[in-house]
Amino acid sequence: MSAPLVTRQDEFLKTDELFINLGPQHPSTHGVLRVGLTVKGEVIVKAVPDVGYLHRGTEKLSEVRGYHHCVVLTDRWDYVAAMPNNLVFCLAAEKLMNLQVPERANYLRTIMCELNRIASHLLFFGTYGIDIGAFTPFLYAFREREMVLDLFEMACGARLTYNYIRLGGVMSDITPEWTSKTREFLDYFKARLEEYDSLLTYNPIFQDRTKTVGLVSADQAIAWGLSGPNLRASGVDYDARKFEPYAAYDKVRFEVPLGKGGSCFDRYFCRVREMGESVRIVEQCLDQMKEGEFMAKGVAKVPKPQPGEAYAHVEGARGNLGIYLVSDGGQSPYRMHVRAPSFINLAILQEILEGKKVADVIAILGSIDIVLGEVDR
Amino acid sequence: MIDYFKDVAAAAANICKGLWITFRYLWKPSITVQYPQEKLVPFERFRGALLFDVETCISCSLCVKACPSSCIDLENAVNEAGKKIAKVNWYTIDFGKCNFCRLCEEACPTKPKSVWHSLDYELVFANRDEMVRGWKKDFDFVGKYFNRKLKQWLAPEWQMQIQTVQARR
Amino acid sequence: MSAPKNPADKHAASNGSSAKVPPAAAVVPPAPAAPAKPAPKPKVEIKEPVFNPAYKGALLTHDRYWPTQRWKAPWSLRSYRRGALALGALLLGAFGLTAAVGELAPWGALLQSAVSGLLSSSFAASGVWILLKVLVVLHIILVAPIFLVWWERKISAHIQSRLGPMTVGGWHGWLQTVADGIKLLFKEDITPIAADRWVHRLAPVIVVIPAILAFAPISFGRELAAADIDVGVLYIFAVAGVSVIGIVMAGWASGNKYSLLGGLRSAAQLVSYELPRSFSIVPVLMFAGSLNLTRIADSQAGYWFGVIPRWYIFYPVVGQISFLIFLIASVAETNRVPFDIPEAESELVAGFHTEFSGMKFSLFFLAEYAYVLLASCLTAAFFMGGGGSPLPWAPWTWIPSWAWFLAKTLGIVFCFLWFRWTFPRFRVDRLMDFNWKFLLPWSFVNIALASIYLLI
Repeated sequence: MSAPLVTRQDEFLKTDELFINLGPQHPSTHGVLRVGLTVKGEVIVKAVPDVGYLHRGTEKLSEVRGYHHCVVLTDRWDYVAAMPNNLVFCLAAEKLMNLQVPERANYLRTIMCELNRIASHLLFFGTYGIDIGAFTPFLYAFREREMVLDLFEMACGARLTYNYIRLGGVMSDITPEWTSKTREFLDYFKARLEEYDSLLTYNPIFQDRTKTVGLVSADQAIAWGLSGPNLRASGVDYDARKFEPYAAYDKVRFEVPLGKGGSCFDRYFCRVREMGESVRIVEQCLDQMKEGEFMAKGVAKVPKPQPGEAYAHVEGARGNLGIYLVSDGGQSPYRMHVRAPSFINLAILQEILEGKKVADVIAILGSIDIVLGEVDR
Repeated sequence: MIDYFKDVAAAAANICKGLWITFRYLWKPSITVQYPQEKLVPFERFRGALLFDVETCISCSLCVKACPSSCIDLENAVNEAGKKIAKVNWYTIDFGKCNFCRLCEEACPTKPKSVWHSLDYELVFANRDEMVRGWKKDFDFVGKYFNRKLKQWLAPEWQMQIQTVQARR
Repeated sequence: MSAPKNPADKHAASNGSSAKVPPAAAVVPPAPAAPAKPAPKPKVEIKEPVFNPAYKGALLTHDRYWPTQRWKAPWSLRSYRRGALALGALLLGAFGLTAAVGELAPWGALLQSAVSGLLSSSFAASGVWILLKVLVVLHIILVAPIFLVWWERKISAHIQSRLGPMTVGGWHGWLQTVADGIKLLFKEDITPIAADRWVHRLAPVIVVIPAILAFAPISFGRELAAADIDVGVLYIFAVAGVSVIGIVMAGWASGNKYSLLGGLRSAAQLVSYELPRSFSIVPVLMFAGSLNLTRIADSQAGYWFGVIPRWYIFYPVVGQISFLIFLIASVAETNRVPFDIPEAESELVAGFHTEFSGMKFSLFFLAEYAYVLLASCLTAAFFMGGGGSPLPWAPWTWIPSWAWFLAKTLGIVFCFLWFRWTFPRFRVDRLMDFNWKFLLPWSFVNIALASIYLLI
């Protein structure tokens, strides 16, 4: 740690602090995030994340749109993993409407969410490699992500904004061809995961860069409200899929990878191992799934739920994604609030960045894995 | 001391493993599509540019209500007596607003669908007029746009159609 | 929604039958006009979709481009076979060409005699000969980066399952860099308002001139050195060290905080890595007993047991340690991944050359590749016997020394590229730790080991 070294120089030399705008246009802020950095040499004195460049007001927009329309809006929050977004809105709305989702739809939702988790974590893996300076893992990750997106395209017709999970079920059923292609992908992907490990995870330079920086203790993580892999990397065993199962998660067996120290490496490693668990979940779902309806009967074209409120949360790719819906009996929600994991995870940045190096800013920012569409909504 | 050498050896081994992986991929065939020379056919459910059929449409406005971004607009046709009939006079989709969400297609009650997604993904607009696609009697499924300067309907020639005879749902 | 069919089948069917099926009009037959009585709605005829035969480019399905399909049997892919054939032909052609041309020194002597026949004074003749040599060497330096950039792009692309530039020049985009160079020449030269104008203008020049000067004593094969000076090694390190000043100038003069950080980082890094780099070749100098690059290369002639060349890299332990430290330090000296912290793309945007555009930027680029080439040339000369053939047998000895030198250089350049596309980047302080606490001590230990060798 060279922070004391810099302060000691102050006694002899007059040094000045430097203010750097990291973003909103910067190769590694993953979108339009601005971090105001005050640095002394290469050491961060103060870091202030500034959000709001991508604000589209989807919470407000939902107040003038029907429930079916809101699903389309949800796609645009976390555009890297839009399936959980769809799902969480549908879960909340179904609670309001007392809709029973068919068994098969639950499995389909689980499969799609897990595939999307793989896609999202692959994006994280790739961009984190770039943040650390390795370019090749990025393209390897995108090669695999492309296959997942192809699967989505085959199932629902879109590659990014799916609008697949609907109130009362899913948009369409999967075909046997889709199933065989998915199995093909999963088999292929398991071998790739090992390669990722040798390419990046066990690379000494990578470990050196990430293992000792961005430490978040378990208490700190809870205090700042972290969720998802960021929380689990600190050793807190909380996963909504396990503790409040939704969809078909109570019928499959999987582990929740936990980290130890809460360093950047732990956060990274949690995600990489989660991809392996997602593969397991998808395989089990494909095995267990039975023929049946994929959409509940009697979903109103223009739903008007009874006045009331509902909260649903799922384990999205980035953390605990929650939706609070209030209905006044009209055809659009009276109020929708999104608990966006990226936004809440981002807040801890100002605490853990202090005293780190400029290079570490990128490593830590990348390891928190934010999507600006979700931060700003 | 032994630990030191062990660490160095482990680091070297892992570096070599990484190098070996990249070296192996050097000899594998590429998986990229050389885009302008090669083009992929999207899967059947692909949600490309919307098509519309004036003949089958019964002018029920369900798609207008289903659209989350209200990009669809239509006007009923009237017969000689001035009464509305189940035909559209004109029908427009503003691709500048369109979410490509398929809700309009799902809402369409006719069989086959009067509005549906094609497989076309090569959709470029140079100005706002071109974004608003309109359909009137005897227009193609692809539709035309109204050029406000020339005051006439022009065909969107830039929309690369994958199918000359479009699949219908 | 109808049950989705396999688009591949459909596509194949439509493509196969497109010749037979007449291109049907897209328009649905219009409804009968003004029926007398409310007739039943005309049944809409649904035609089988026909794929556009005039569609630009081939229509492909996704399956073909899934890695699972592509990697199953690479040799069944036509493009793969053609690529392999082209590569083989290239290597064979290079072999034949170099073997046919032979050593360059006789050609040079021929040229010199012709020139001295034209010019009466021998002084002028030798001056012309030196000028020719300088021109040859200068062209190697200035043309090689064009090739190296293309090579880097192709290799990085293939490492990443891509193809890289494919269009410009017809064959695998071999003229891409030339086109890029022309583009850079014509680009607007922007000097930021906050920049220190003269320093900003001077910086690329100061970076690139030493890069060219440093090539002078390198012998590109037998008797092919622009200046065969006795302190060649010292000269190269001294001249190449000047570039740091240019980089610091660039960082300072840009008036950009990222550039400043990049410039400062590079100052620290380059100066530090000079040390292990210099010390790592001390064993080589001790073995060779000379600072002259030609003599160092010549001292590695001969074979152990008639098979293993007596290159310094094959000296047990000392040679390998020396080689590795020199290679690592050279990568660091050339600011390439994993030591590219001065231009760390994800942290500092582009580091010290963020604010440079057009030809100024391309000068930095040129300097970078020139240094890569220099480092590779040095590695080939120090550790791989310069222009010596690795095997003492017939087909290998046909190849002249300059071609061997070139091949070895390109081999090392490949390593540089390979490292770049495999490794992540060091952090600034860890980079210094690695240098001062690992490379430097080991280079000292290595010198001690080498001295033991000499004693024995």
